[in-house]
Amino acid sequence: MSLSAAQVGKDILAAFKGALSEKWPDIKEYGEAEAKKLAQTLVMIAALRASGKINEEQATLHVEIQKNATRTVLLTLEGLGILAVEAAINAALNVVKDAVNTAVGFALL
Amino acid sequence: MSDLDRTLNTRRLVGSLLLVAVLALPGCAVKLVSSYDETTDKTVTALQKKTEAHLVALEAVEGLPECTFEKHKPFYEEARVDVSAIAVRAAAIPKNGITTEQTFLLSKSLESLEKLHKISCLSKDQIASLRTQFNSSFTAILKLELAKRRGE
Repeated sequence: MSLSAAQVGKDILAAFKGALSEKWPDIKEYGEAEAKKLAQTLVMIAALRASGKINEEQATLHVEIQKNATRTVLLTLEGLGILAVEAAINAALNVVKDAVNTAVGFALL
Repeated sequence: MSDLDRTLNTRRLVGSLLLVAVLALPGCAVKLVSSYDETTDKTVTALQKKTEAHLVALEAVEGLPECTFEKHKPFYEEARVDVSAIAVRAAAIPKNGITTEQTFLLSKSLESLEKLHKISCLSKDQIASLRTQFNSSFTAILKLELAKRRGE
């Protein structure tokens, strides 16, 4: 049975959305593009294996590389999320900086 | 307000002040992720170019005797050294765990590419898939590194 890139892409996208629901609006564009690439690659690997152009070991190595690429993308999404949190903390501290420093009598913030 | 409420409020206040003191040294902004590193940016970009040149070279010799692993061994040796240097530098930078993990994954992918090439010459279909995967990895690493500039 042949794989449908569109269906695999939809399933992967649904999994991405589920795992990254809170951050999804910020990372939607990047996440969708990566889900599409992952699906196309998996379909290509399956087709190459089905046609006998690659063996099981080769298919496994291709999938390993794909998994590493996907993990790398997800790590970037995580890092971008942390940077957003950092920016929010600094913005909040900046808002209360003068009041807090005045209250404690020295440059705490 | 009960004694319990007062105690809880005091604890919350102390907790908040401690958090602020821990997160922010006087006069400094909070930093949860390392600063932008120009060397990481440049070396990852250089390795991307080298990898792309390798894939282009493999496409050009598809089906020819020059496609064998032995003919392209220097790329794998150089790439191993390059990615090791990137990983060591990344690990030496404080609060740089994500980039360090990404470079580890990149090194594992290069190892897998080497194994694939040792098994047989790579077809254009395989190269197309590999190009997409490696470019995704390089783009992701660089995207995070550039974001560390924080609008500077």
